[in-house]
Amino acid sequence: MISLVHRVRATGPLVSRIVAALVGGYALAALFSVAVLALPLSRPQAVLTGMLASFAIYAGAVIWVFAVRSALKAWAGLLIVAAPLVPLAWSVS
Amino acid sequence: MTHLAAFVLCLAGFAALAFATRRQQRDILGGSLRSAATYGLRVAGVCALLSALGILVAKYGWSLGLVMLSGHTSLAAGFVYCVLIGLVRTHGPPAAHAN
Amino acid sequence: MNTDDDVRVEGPGIRQSMSSLHTWAGLLLGWVLYAMFLTGTVSYFKDELSQWMRPELARLSQVPDRAVVAQRIADELGNIAPGTSQWSIRLPDERNNSANVFWRTAPRNPGQRGFGEASFDPVTGQRVTSRGTLGGEFFYRFHFQFHYMPVVWGRWLAGIAAMFMLVAIVSGVITHKKIFVDFFTFRSGKGQRSWLDAHNALSVFGLPFHFMITYTGLVTLMAMYMPWGEMAAFKSPAERQQLNAELTAFIQPGKPTGQKAPLASVEDMVRQAQERWGRDNVGRITAVHPGDAAARVSVARAESGRVSMSPQYMEFEGATGKLLTVREAVGAAAETRGVLYALHLGRFSDTETRWLYFLVSFMGTAMVGTGLVMWTVKRRQKLPDPDRPYFGFRLVERLNIASIAGLSIAMTSFLWANRLLPHPMEGRADWEINAFFIVWGLALLHALMRPVKAAWVEQLWTASALLLLLPILNALTTQRPLWRSLAEGDWVFAGMDIMCWALALLHAVLAMRTARQAANAPSRRRANRPTPMTVASSEGAR
Repeated sequence: MISLVHRVRATGPLVSRIVAALVGGYALAALFSVAVLALPLSRPQAVLTGMLASFAIYAGAVIWVFAVRSALKAWAGLLIVAAPLVPLAWSVS
Repeated sequence: MTHLAAFVLCLAGFAALAFATRRQQRDILGGSLRSAATYGLRVAGVCALLSALGILVAKYGWSLGLVMLSGHTSLAAGFVYCVLIGLVRTHGPPAAHAN
Repeated sequence: MNTDDDVRVEGPGIRQSMSSLHTWAGLLLGWVLYAMFLTGTVSYFKDELSQWMRPELARLSQVPDRAVVAQRIADELGNIAPGTSQWSIRLPDERNNSANVFWRTAPRNPGQRGFGEASFDPVTGQRVTSRGTLGGEFFYRFHFQFHYMPVVWGRWLAGIAAMFMLVAIVSGVITHKKIFVDFFTFRSGKGQRSWLDAHNALSVFGLPFHFMITYTGLVTLMAMYMPWGEMAAFKSPAERQQLNAELTAFIQPGKPTGQKAPLASVEDMVRQAQERWGRDNVGRITAVHPGDAAARVSVARAESGRVSMSPQYMEFEGATGKLLTVREAVGAAAETRGVLYALHLGRFSDTETRWLYFLVSFMGTAMVGTGLVMWTVKRRQKLPDPDRPYFGFRLVERLNIASIAGLSIAMTSFLWANRLLPHPMEGRADWEINAFFIVWGLALLHALMRPVKAAWVEQLWTASALLLLLPILNALTTQRPLWRSLAEGDWVFAGMDIMCWALALLHAVLAMRTARQAANAPSRRRANRPTPMTVASSEGAR
């Protein structure tokens, strides 16, 4: 039991980062691709802009998640970027 | 023909740029060049690469020309790199230190 | 670089964490990426491969006038597929000796869409029969959707692999930013360093290409990977059509009137397009409801000479031949997408540029391959007990053999199957593909059963032998041996034979080098299969 706790302690932050990278990164990229619709562009162009840029956002998010010093900071960074995007995405859908 | 010229220019350009680095001078030429010569090599290298771009763009336009240039530079740089390794193996000092 | 394994250490330097990220993002789907890279590389010569795999179709030394060809085939389609709701002709060009045609048929089951597909001889306008084969199309499709799995899954897997690749590239650049400054100052060393040097060199020189090809690869299927913006923006199919119009030359089929009206001269329509874009620059002709008063015909510009896949087409009224619209521009974002898409496929290339694409992409394949091998080379020295490496290490070692050397064997076997399988034969095209996977599976079995070094050497020699003998097999089984194709200036067939020998040489050199590296790999007793005990103990050892 104690060893289990120990293992979670040891691997928890890493697992958390991996989830942040894979799921959090994708969610951020998806959110961005919707928020772009708020730009003053015609709908088709805005949709395409969002799609085109989303992979750069995703890759950037993954790099961020593994570059910072702690898993907590990694999540915090993703949330801070997501925060202004949420109302934008909300406004267009 | 344009392709051949562009490739040769890229080769020349990268060769000049390579010999503008201290390490290649030391390892292959056996000593440092004067800084004026090094500077000259650097300028010549950049000019060669730019003229490769120039002739490709003149013939094929910007979009195709840029694509072709990136292909030629990748290959030429790889080629120069392999030749340098060969030269160091035959001429240069053996000491392999980490960079 | 010594701390690749401690991803879990909190607060290592950024270069160390990026190095770990690079290692693991590269390794986890590395085998998939290697297969994608290699099949993608050969796909730059997809059309040539397809020609080679259909040796019955005569070489087209000169492409006939496309306007005449289009009319011929359109007439023939009137006989073959009367009353079809749509047909589409891809006209022959310098790289395709036949016209590829598809048409819709009445569905066999309600709700299903039926279609027919065939190749047509541009000179006679008749349907041609050749051996059943998917040709170069197989490698092309495998490259982004694999096989034996639903297309959608395959494409998602390809997308995930591409995303891993993108992360591996960016983290690799951050880790090694110094090598971009000291462009020409790496050294070749021994053992681990020479692998590292090869990997570095291949990555640095090809970097613009590797980055471009990975990102644009994601762009080709971006609507599938990132559908959220589209779903939020468009509520009705009509709105969605606005988006499609920016991406393809597809014309929305209206309702047929039911009133019969023969199609006006297709030749004239193509002539108008030729006047606009050049004689050889007409690509695809599509007709909807041909034979009906409401028919529409679109003539699309070919892809050569412009770095963009954005739709450019002329639309005609089918019954009168009147030009309705010319579409030559799309919005800025759509054009960006068109350019990126075109960069990935490289269809605009002339022969020289296509070779550049092929060679640099080959460097990319080698980059992934050297990266995979390096993972084991780096770790071998640090093994606690070199005679009994832990399970993960052995797994990587074996998968490397099967996915690198084994893939060469499997791909060459696919070409062997094309020459050896009888024709006609039921399901022949499928059996060529099955042969590819059977051989690949055998290569994996072989890699699991033999000592590591022996497996490498044997598989590399096998690939070399198969490649060496393929031109001879071709000479024995077709009317187009190397001497004849050289005499006739048939560079598709001659080039294929010569490339086989060049690749045979490459594999032979690799085999000899691997065989010589005796000192690095200590001989070991083989435990064929990891027992649960060793797995557990190696897990513990970590």
